[in-house]
Amino acid sequence: MIFAGIDIGSITAKAAFIKNDKLMATKVIPTGYNPITAGEKVFSALLEQTGIDPRDIRAIVATGYGRNSVKFANRAMTEIICHGKGAHFLDPRIRGIIDVGGQDSKAIALDRTGQVENFAMNDKCAAGTGRFLEVMAKALEVKLEDLGTISLGSRAPSKISSICTVFAESEVISMIAGQQKREDIIAGIHESTAARVAGLVTKVKLEAPIIMTGGVAKNQGMIKALENRLGIEILVGDYPQENGAIGAAVIASRIHLQKI
Amino acid sequence: MTDTDKKKDKRKIRAAKKMREIMTTYYLDAMTARENNKKVAWITSGGPVEPLIAMDIIPVYPENHGAMIGASKMGEELCIKAEEMGYSQDLCSYARTDIACCKVNGGPMGGLPQPDMLICCNNICGTVLKWYEVQARHFNVPLFILDTPICHTDYSREVESYVRRQMDEYIIFLETAVDKKFDHDKMAEVGRLAFQGQKLWQKVLKTTTHKPSPMSAFDAFFFLALIVTLRGTQIAVDFYEELSLEMEERIQTDISIIPHEKYRLLWDNLPVWYQLKWLSQKFSDHNACLVADTYTSAWCSALKYIDENNFLDSMAQAYTRIHLNIGVDQMADQVLDMIRTYDVDGFVMHSNRSCKPYSFGQMDIMNIVRKKTGIPVVMLEADMVDPRSFSLSQTDTRIDAFMEIIKQKEWVR
Amino acid sequence: MKEINPFHAAINDPGGLAAGIKKRSGKILGYMCSYAPEELIHAAGFHPMRLFSSKSDICLAQNHLQAYCCSLVRGVLEDSLAGRLDYLEGMVFPHTCDSIQRLSDIWRLNTKFNFFADVVMPTKLNTKSARTYMTDVLKKFKTDLEKAAEHSITQNDLQNSISLFNRIRRDLSRIYELKSQFPSIIKGTDLFAIIKGSMIMDREELAQRLETIVLLLEKKDPPPYSGKRIILAGSICDMQDIYKLIEASGGSVVADDLCTGNRWFEGSMPENIDPIEALTARYADRAICPAKHSGNTTRGENLLALADTHKVDGVIFATLKFCDPHAFDYPYMKEFLEKSSIKNLHLELDDQQQGLGQLSTRLETFIHMI
Repeated sequence: MIFAGIDIGSITAKAAFIKNDKLMATKVIPTGYNPITAGEKVFSALLEQTGIDPRDIRAIVATGYGRNSVKFANRAMTEIICHGKGAHFLDPRIRGIIDVGGQDSKAIALDRTGQVENFAMNDKCAAGTGRFLEVMAKALEVKLEDLGTISLGSRAPSKISSICTVFAESEVISMIAGQQKREDIIAGIHESTAARVAGLVTKVKLEAPIIMTGGVAKNQGMIKALENRLGIEILVGDYPQENGAIGAAVIASRIHLQKI
Repeated sequence: MTDTDKKKDKRKIRAAKKMREIMTTYYLDAMTARENNKKVAWITSGGPVEPLIAMDIIPVYPENHGAMIGASKMGEELCIKAEEMGYSQDLCSYARTDIACCKVNGGPMGGLPQPDMLICCNNICGTVLKWYEVQARHFNVPLFILDTPICHTDYSREVESYVRRQMDEYIIFLETAVDKKFDHDKMAEVGRLAFQGQKLWQKVLKTTTHKPSPMSAFDAFFFLALIVTLRGTQIAVDFYEELSLEMEERIQTDISIIPHEKYRLLWDNLPVWYQLKWLSQKFSDHNACLVADTYTSAWCSALKYIDENNFLDSMAQAYTRIHLNIGVDQMADQVLDMIRTYDVDGFVMHSNRSCKPYSFGQMDIMNIVRKKTGIPVVMLEADMVDPRSFSLSQTDTRIDAFMEIIKQKEWVR
Repeated sequence: MKEINPFHAAINDPGGLAAGIKKRSGKILGYMCSYAPEELIHAAGFHPMRLFSSKSDICLAQNHLQAYCCSLVRGVLEDSLAGRLDYLEGMVFPHTCDSIQRLSDIWRLNTKFNFFADVVMPTKLNTKSARTYMTDVLKKFKTDLEKAAEHSITQNDLQNSISLFNRIRRDLSRIYELKSQFPSIIKGTDLFAIIKGSMIMDREELAQRLETIVLLLEKKDPPPYSGKRIILAGSICDMQDIYKLIEASGGSVVADDLCTGNRWFEGSMPENIDPIEALTARYADRAICPAKHSGNTTRGENLLALADTHKVDGVIFATLKFCDPHAFDYPYMKEFLEKSSIKNLHLELDDQQQGLGQLSTRLETFIHMI
């Protein structure tokens, strides 16, 4: 039996299929302007990739900020629960998830059975999210995906203390004017973002092993900054971006089996 | 009328109509005070109103007005106006909207009746002090400050004697303001009515211990207005008598406020006035009822300190030891007590940008509650009046996730 | 001037300074508000140390205070939770604003120092009953200190403290006077170091050093000054760069209305009356903080008087973001200044911020403009 999960995030839309309790395939596309079409697009792209007939999909769960716009889903669940299910499904040892996405960052604590025990999210302001990194990348005229690699070359990270994106951007601009090294500024940005995210982690008292999910998990500089800050190893699985969609597919199978 | 409409109609609380009428009359009286040779005092929501009633001075509450502005979604525009006047966006939105209203005669009533005097009690925050100073300069009227030192851990003799002395100064202030002797017999009578009113308010709030609950915190937010504005009058006593009877009747006939109450929640902090409808629908969709809140219960939480037969002397303590003027650990104790009394499944905290003394310390309360009860807690970031500090999609996700965690307890793994 | 070096050393490493004091003379009590009765703390044999944020990343404090809490309050809590204030014997909280009020609770519930005291001073200062209450509170605090110190505080101890603090205040006032008279006599950053250092250094040592500095300054023959004369007004100003930038742009701070400045040290205590009464008189009558009340326009009038006395060209308001008491007063104080045609600029700062960033453009332009 095949089940599908669809995760509509602010930047990318993800889909995942599971078959007989095994991950089958995943797909990531940009969300674009319209979350409704993004859901349809990513779903049909994955159908095409796997050659599966939509009639063979027994249940679909949608998640992410656009979860309610996926009209063909049987149910919508928040990404918090889905990330929990996804991480547990892929690696049952996981007890903590750090998810840094475009709009939100979250820390999610799981119990031994993969149930969410507690979670914390950033407040309305953008500091500590992918969006913050995007603003900073723009100010530095660096590609978002290059931030990680560049920062690894830093010997002395700059210090950015402002909690507010606007204040921090102003700090960064004066650092550029002060001719500080680009890699140091970027490493500083990672450290300040890591401090914000670490706050969420301590808030819910995450226990090891901790996995990082979301688009920002691909940024090696961020992982390093977080590990330094927390003094703990952070795992990155094979599917950091698709983790929520995988969890949604898992939930779809549970719903189908009347376990929820 | 369809069947669902009839059912919905049955769920409506009848007393709401009466309450609206009483509030309309009250505001009309206040608006026409000058023509009727009456004086108007603006007073903070936690301030001692009883001496005003005893002196036949009409109390007007800018905070109640702020709530009306918020509920009628006029907050944003007025907040922006205040910011144009130089008041920072980070200041209390009640204060900002009130200050702006005085300039532009805005809001749902085109502004409040002008005050003849201002009564500010800082038992709720330090913000009211600054806000009332602004208004004292604007209207150029006398300002009385009742300074109620915070009781972090205890209520000391020094505090008691300081606040008690100020009650006498308050009376002298009023005598001077209206040029009339204070009537102690009348004060005793007003005190008794205030006590009765608060007792009845408490009784109304306690009816929600019944499952399913006959009303919710959203109703309490609405019915609160009278115990704030008309405390110490027969009108308030009669109204809450009627409301409590209606609640009893709903319990007898099994009428619940939400169709399928399955989960019971506790709310902390002020309401998000401009999203009441959305929030109540949101929780109701999850079959969750906000059965109680820490905010509306503040108007009866000091009952234990009031001496019905010696109101004036017990006022110092009753006004100093309110929910916001105590330490965070004591606030947590009150929350734990409510969690037990109302048998709730989850705790919803509104982190309110406008209200620092209510919101700072919430995270510690959250941890205490988690540790001692194990119930899920969620924190919603918002503001009571300024919608710019509220994100619908973010709040939506948080509530859904919170409810999923509550529900997941029932899932077979 | 090399005599100022110890002040720079102190403010650059308050932790090191505290360790030294702890080793030499014993126990340190921290505080964050200029209404903390330092004289009493000192008379009990403790070292009163004002706390500033070390401006480290806010991480642990995030679990206790939301992002809309001011950076000073969050910063000091962070330092405490991260163990950077372990040199403290304890903490004193005179009631200040809503944020510090809750910080006191959070501190009490989450830290493990030996000593903790809420000294809930009145908010209202201009009535007889408020003064009586203040006296009661000071007496109670004295008893708490005696318990912690395990000895009583004699009248003599208190008198000595009062005269020591009077000396410190007199000399600081004299340095300010000289700065106003001859703005080029001492650099703004040096003045900043002296003031900030005075709030953390050993007070006996401080009194000596200040005396020396006054003598040296009085002997100086500074060149005439033709730059702009500026008042810095606001809450705390823990940013040396502001002084530097003002001078680089052709101005000088000749007076201030700051909690870390004039409001903290101005005035002296009568030495011939009961010491607790003297303390009450001082704390009730000093230049007022916006979190306190003493009339509706007192602060505006004080600022105008200050501007008049020091013949200033402009006023710079430097306030911390999320500081309510100052944000409420700003519009009317600005209006007061404008009625008297005094130019002014408002800088909203984040205490955690490193350097002024884009604000520097505004500051420079303002000074050129006036």
